[in-house]
Amino acid sequence: METLLATFVSGLVLAALYALMASGLSLIWTTIGVFNFAHGALMMVGAFVAWTVSEVGGFGLWPGLIAGVATTTVLGVIIEYLLIRPFYGQRNMVLITVMTTLAAMIILEKSAQIIWGARLKQLPRMIEGDISISGAVISAHEALIVVLAPLILIALWQFTNRTPVGRSLRAVGQNQEAAALLGINVPLTFALAFGLGAALAGLTGVLLGGIRFITPSLGSEPLIKAMIVVIFGGLGSLGATVGAALVIGMAEAFLVLTLGLYWTPFAIFLGLIAVLVLRPNGLFGRS
Amino acid sequence: MPVLELRHVTKRFGGLTAVDDVTFGVEEGELLGIAGPNGSGKSTLFNVVTGIPFGASSGEILFDGKPITRMVSHRIARLGLARTFQKDAEYPDLTAKETIALAAIYGRGLNRRAAAEAAETQLEAAGIGCARAGMLTTALSVYERKQLMIASALVMQPKVLMLDEPASGLTRPEIAALNAHLVKINKGGVTILLIEHVLSLLLSLAERLIVLNQGAVLAEGDPQEVIRDERVIEAYLGGRSA
Repeated sequence: METLLATFVSGLVLAALYALMASGLSLIWTTIGVFNFAHGALMMVGAFVAWTVSEVGGFGLWPGLIAGVATTTVLGVIIEYLLIRPFYGQRNMVLITVMTTLAAMIILEKSAQIIWGARLKQLPRMIEGDISISGAVISAHEALIVVLAPLILIALWQFTNRTPVGRSLRAVGQNQEAAALLGINVPLTFALAFGLGAALAGLTGVLLGGIRFITPSLGSEPLIKAMIVVIFGGLGSLGATVGAALVIGMAEAFLVLTLGLYWTPFAIFLGLIAVLVLRPNGLFGRS
Repeated sequence: MPVLELRHVTKRFGGLTAVDDVTFGVEEGELLGIAGPNGSGKSTLFNVVTGIPFGASSGEILFDGKPITRMVSHRIARLGLARTFQKDAEYPDLTAKETIALAAIYGRGLNRRAAAEAAETQLEAAGIGCARAGMLTTALSVYERKQLMIASALVMQPKVLMLDEPASGLTRPEIAALNAHLVKINKGGVTILLIEHVLSLLLSLAERLIVLNQGAVLAEGDPQEVIRDERVIEAYLGGRSA
């Protein structure tokens, strides 16, 4: 029973992380129709900048968090302006932007290697200590992620559904041409979506930096996980992404328990393919 | 001075000239009909004027005396040149009220409360009741979706409204209701450009008619005279006499 509970809690932590990782990616996809392969690299930059400000600069974790998120937001807007915007309206835009965002990923990773070197770094935890839930022990930092993730996602949902700017993001994502007719500045909306998605990546990177070592490749595995979550959920709403994150996080935790670490990725990909065969629009996607 | 003026407007796609040296003006308050066989360049002409999704290859377009030929589409909309699409411009995840409120906020610069009130007024005028205002646009009927497009344009208080086949897919009673609605809008001071295949609607509304053929203006003038023009009959019927 204790093992099951520990696995459940571990699944919750994974689900929270995956939901955060995937939400920015999903926001960019639903608004612009671009899969941002630099999303993981932006997480890494966020973590490195936060580490530099808090550890090297000695300003503490919270200024580091703000600096990390601000940097990735600006980088996101720059990536959109330089590597996405020139290709809007082109028939093969999705393919072109796969290449340009991959290029951004490589540039960011190599730049990080030059700036910060290959030595492992780690951010201090936001809250020190451990928390025991009926015998299942997780760090207070991980518990904070489990609490923060839903709050951030609720705030994001409120923003996209309850504010005019958020609704303009949805309108542009659903019908760009008609949105322009409503007076919405479509290119500005694209930049906003990319900046917001990158900010979420930066925030996730800072949270990750407290539980994983920060290296230039910190974002590589989270990027793949975020993509699985977004595709599995159905390339659609935030709710679908959160639902998929919960399913995959839990599945991963219980698969590690039953099949072991080695076979878990294989089983997850098999599950993803099976879902896509049965439901080509993803688990929660609409046809 | 015409409220909207096109001077030698041309749109080319490679070797194909979709709009060919079109020149005409629309006076304030006028209801101008635009007709022509399929593929004659009617919708492309609207696209070129509004910049959605492309502008003109050459020529000049003036709105209220100001050049808008190279202007981005959302700015054109904010200036007061609104349009609807031939296909329903629906947003699967937005409600009817949210759609109109967005247009009021971004197209007219209203705050949220004023935009919500303006949206309710337009929904009422469009015949979309309160009960259906909160429904997703995809859940509305074809007629309601057409009316929603018009309401979204009207909430921006445009000077000129360009309607691309608003009657397509509608039943006779719905076309009659649309006819009455358009008369009311026009009498309210909105200049209308109307592309329509439902000839009865076009002829009952249009004060002047332009017929396009192969991207160029074939005939222009009084609607009843234009439809009797030999060249127009030939363009529509492919060489046979009516």
